[in-house]
Amino acid sequence: MRKTYRYKELSFAIADDDDVNFTVEFVSDGNIGQTVINVPGSNDPEIEDSGTKFIGKGKDLRGETTICVTDVANLLPDEDEIRIRFIVNGQLIIEHQNLKSEEERPLIILSIKFPKS
Amino acid sequence: MIKIIVGIIIIASPFISGAQEKLNKLKAPSSPASSILGLQPTTVLSPKSYRSLETALFSNFVNGSGNTVIPNDFSLEFTPYWTKNHGLSIQEYLYPKSSLDQFIRNSSFSIASTQKFILGDSTSTNGLSFGYRTSFYFGNEKDREEIDINTKKLRDNKRILANLAAISNGLIENKKVTNQLEFIDKMKNNIFKAINESGIFDNIKDAEAITNSIITEIALLPQLDINAPDKFLNGVDSIIGNKLSSEKIFNEYKAYIKERYGFSVDFSYAFLLNFPTNQFEYSFVPQQSFWITPSYRFEDNLSFLKILGVLRYERYQLGYYKKFFANTQMYENNIDYGFSVSTEFDRFSLNFELVGRKSNSNIPSGTTDTNGNELFRKEKNYDIQYIGSFNYNLTDEIVISYNLGNRFDPITNSKNTLVSMLSLNFGFGTPSKNDIDLEK
Repeated sequence: MRKTYRYKELSFAIADDDDVNFTVEFVSDGNIGQTVINVPGSNDPEIEDSGTKFIGKGKDLRGETTICVTDVANLLPDEDEIRIRFIVNGQLIIEHQNLKSEEERPLIILSIKFPKS
Repeated sequence: MIKIIVGIIIIASPFISGAQEKLNKLKAPSSPASSILGLQPTTVLSPKSYRSLETALFSNFVNGSGNTVIPNDFSLEFTPYWTKNHGLSIQEYLYPKSSLDQFIRNSSFSIASTQKFILGDSTSTNGLSFGYRTSFYFGNEKDREEIDINTKKLRDNKRILANLAAISNGLIENKKVTNQLEFIDKMKNNIFKAINESGIFDNIKDAEAITNSIITEIALLPQLDINAPDKFLNGVDSIIGNKLSSEKIFNEYKAYIKERYGFSVDFSYAFLLNFPTNQFEYSFVPQQSFWITPSYRFEDNLSFLKILGVLRYERYQLGYYKKFFANTQMYENNIDYGFSVSTEFDRFSLNFELVGRKSNSNIPSGTTDTNGNELFRKEKNYDIQYIGSFNYNLTDEIVISYNLGNRFDPITNSKNTLVSMLSLNFGFGTPSKNDIDLEK
């Protein structure tokens, strides 16, 4: 069974009318991955590899926990680790790192709350 | 022989028992430095094994008393570029923008040493060698096709899995379900939708069938504990991944990247440094080599086959050999040319090489022309080498290699052309404290 890395109880305070932009940054070389951010409503934003997506206004993200899932794999024979930064509005909320000897295609799950600032 | 096998097992056991710390599968070493020092008898250097650091400890693990000892011969190959992260995307990695990028990324440096570099009078001395190599790959249309197909398959797969994991985790984290039945009920439509919309199946019936099969297996999982749901959720992800062949898709792509279709060429250089009196201040560079190794990986039905050519120029310093190998016939300039064929099946690989050597030297004739200039006579020689190699991965980190064949006339004991060499190679990735703990 492949390894799942869970980061729970993450929190980012934000005002009601502020935009929330979510960024995934692949730091190590040669990752290939898909990130889905499960927000209230039917249109979950998706990020292919590295990138930034608007996921809603602060007030849209209240109440529920926002789940962000990155399914990633590293195909490079030269690379020894998988390192990914997760950023909200330019602020690092978590940096994931694992050795490929531990898992080459990890599933990374973030549970984030967006309380009122 | 039994002692050697016992020694191998003793040394290999920490690696075998520590199999949970799996490292990348290793290939037999073939660094320029180990080749020029004679630690590997083959002339054709196979492409390097894509590791930022590669080490090789060669045989001699057991001494005459049966005790395990540190080997006399050692080699290490180091690729500086890959010790740092650059945030390269897979596309940037597979299709470098310029030849300069390839040159830098593939540049590796090697060093090898032996404490048993034997001179003509049987004196055992220290030999050190240093090597450099880089390689260039020239893809073709078939390669691009293969990469595109594999990328699409992997991306589609990841899109489905990430979507479903986001939904399933969201359902439980936000308390939208209270038990396994409610979970299955809410997930069923989402699973079908994600699979059907991905287009990985040609018809809706296949998408329905795979959805039903996933749901059946989820129902068989141990009961969902809503307060500790991680194990259950991991099980769900695992079922979906297995049904959609995630691991197979990943492994096929990874294997292809290691051996891409098309043409590549390696350039290598190495030189040997000898300390004939074992004093640091007194050294010679008796031998230098420059290799060009073009290789081609066939497509489709012949994809198991790889053909490598070799063109090597080797230069010997005649003054050194005259002094320390008094009774040997050496040639200053040597050109080797030939090819090798290799194939790989799971844990073992086979290689055969056939290489010709053309040598010549300009020897002072001891006479002068009418203007008083020294005259030289040219001496020539031809030789041939053919060697078969067998490599077997004992584990992903340990390769045992055996070479058998006929080599070029060696410097000393020129009739002794038989090659029968067993070597053992341990591999480490970029090591960290946690990686290399031999006591585990």
